[in-house]
Amino acid sequence: MDVERIRADFPILQRKINGKSLIYFDNAATTQRPIQVLETIRAFYTLYNANVHRSPHTLGREATELYEQAHENVARFIGAENEREIVFVRNSTEAINLVAYSLLHSESEGLRLEPGDEIVLTIMEHHSNLVPWQFLRDRQGVVLRFVGLSDDGKLDLEQLQRQVTEKTKLVCCAHVSNVLGTINPVREIGRLAHQAGALFLVDGAQSAPHMPVNVEEIGCDFLAFSGHKMLAPMGIGGLYGRRGLLEELTPFLYGGDMIADVKLEGATWNKLPWKFEAGTPNVCGGIALGGAVELKSGQHLEGAVDYLQRIGMEEVRAHERELTEYALEGLQAIPGVRMYGPLNPDGQIGVIAFNVIKGGELVDPHIVAGFLNDEGIAVRSGGHCAYPLADRLGVEGTVRVSFYIYNTKDEVDRFLGVLDDIVRRRLF
Amino acid sequence: MYSEKVLEHFRNPRNVGTIEDADGFGKAGGGSKCPEDMTYFWIRVSDGRLVEVKHKTMGCPVAIASSSITSVMAESKTIQEALCITPQAVIEALENIPERKMDSNLGPHALRKAIENYYENVEQR
Repeated sequence: MDVERIRADFPILQRKINGKSLIYFDNAATTQRPIQVLETIRAFYTLYNANVHRSPHTLGREATELYEQAHENVARFIGAENEREIVFVRNSTEAINLVAYSLLHSESEGLRLEPGDEIVLTIMEHHSNLVPWQFLRDRQGVVLRFVGLSDDGKLDLEQLQRQVTEKTKLVCCAHVSNVLGTINPVREIGRLAHQAGALFLVDGAQSAPHMPVNVEEIGCDFLAFSGHKMLAPMGIGGLYGRRGLLEELTPFLYGGDMIADVKLEGATWNKLPWKFEAGTPNVCGGIALGGAVELKSGQHLEGAVDYLQRIGMEEVRAHERELTEYALEGLQAIPGVRMYGPLNPDGQIGVIAFNVIKGGELVDPHIVAGFLNDEGIAVRSGGHCAYPLADRLGVEGTVRVSFYIYNTKDEVDRFLGVLDDIVRRRLF
Repeated sequence: MYSEKVLEHFRNPRNVGTIEDADGFGKAGGGSKCPEDMTYFWIRVSDGRLVEVKHKTMGCPVAIASSSITSVMAESKTIQEALCITPQAVIEALENIPERKMDSNLGPHALRKAIENYYENVEQR
């Protein structure tokens, strides 16, 4: 993996922030976009822009073809059997809301969540995989059961085993924690869920961009992911759903394109996945995520998924693992830095949460992030949309660094040097 | 993805055009149920054989390839043989199509309509 060549594809990395070269370590919040994806966006709007699934003219057909191919490529990227199992949505949040509303309103009694049905969640969930289920609890009387963490940020699997019972209808779990980087044993969790007859939803927002993810191997019923965390534009993401389930589930949004036929008395639903994609979709975003080839001209509109597959997800993971190992060692050597999570490059992705202790007091993470920004280093600080996890760690928030394919050891070195200087000289 | 056969017929569709004073005309697709794909077929019949088959097709790669290969399969066939060109036979001739594309049945449907139209014309004479 040639990081220098990759870096050349990301024009934003040339920016100076406060007179310093930008170091972008906030990839868990959103990544940057390579020129190939930017070029696809430009090409779509300059050459192929038209609505999909509607008009028979050439542009309409080309846009439809490109958009459908993008579904196919995304399906292949996450190991889904068939593009019908891939619904394009705005982001992971919308994907999970889609599942929540569809289960709430399901016409199929086996699927519909009823008062007293139980959903098992973990306390490390991002709010996107917690608040929709709280809504179901308040609206439908569904009971939420939570699985806690060990002190090193790993799920308490024994507690999980106890929480999953015959009352459990659904188990929801982040594949990777967005705060601690912990890689959860989703295959095992899925097996437990299925043994109890429950469905299994995986929030893949932090895993799909950073490691090989295969829905067949995981054995999940649903996988949610966001495009903007994996080089694609904001406003596009995906939901994988097992085909039989998607066939059976009630739609979440109603309107154009999701119907097969409409009379004044009622409507019937379109085939998958369009049944779940009501209204004009984010066609350009979808193509920029999945990529597609225009068949007449042979022009390849490279998508984020193409870019990642060209590198290879094993390579992506190996690169980030190396940076993580290096950064963990470096952070350990700075006095007053307290890290959270597994602190093991094999058990976490390139996400490290930490705080600085000075004079026995925990320094507000926003202050640390502000000093880092002065030096051109972009990190996130705060609760990271996972407040219950911060509560469990006993803190208001943390500073979080998160790596991606274009980050380097040199950048980690500069970050460690600046942080060391902040701890020694700038904080009091 | 698409088979080489589909791509080849999509890029170079055969028998595109119309027949003036055709013996039969038929169309398929279009309308609110299938707004994106539309195909028109014209046939000329002589001694019970389709001596000329032309089509014009607007639509996705599979629709265009399907019409193209249907026209090739129908050429110089007897009417009865042409009526045996089923959507499944077209899929097989195209060496398979992606599951999401069912537009492959447009060609055979339009051809059948053209033959029905031929019979109507004959009866009127």
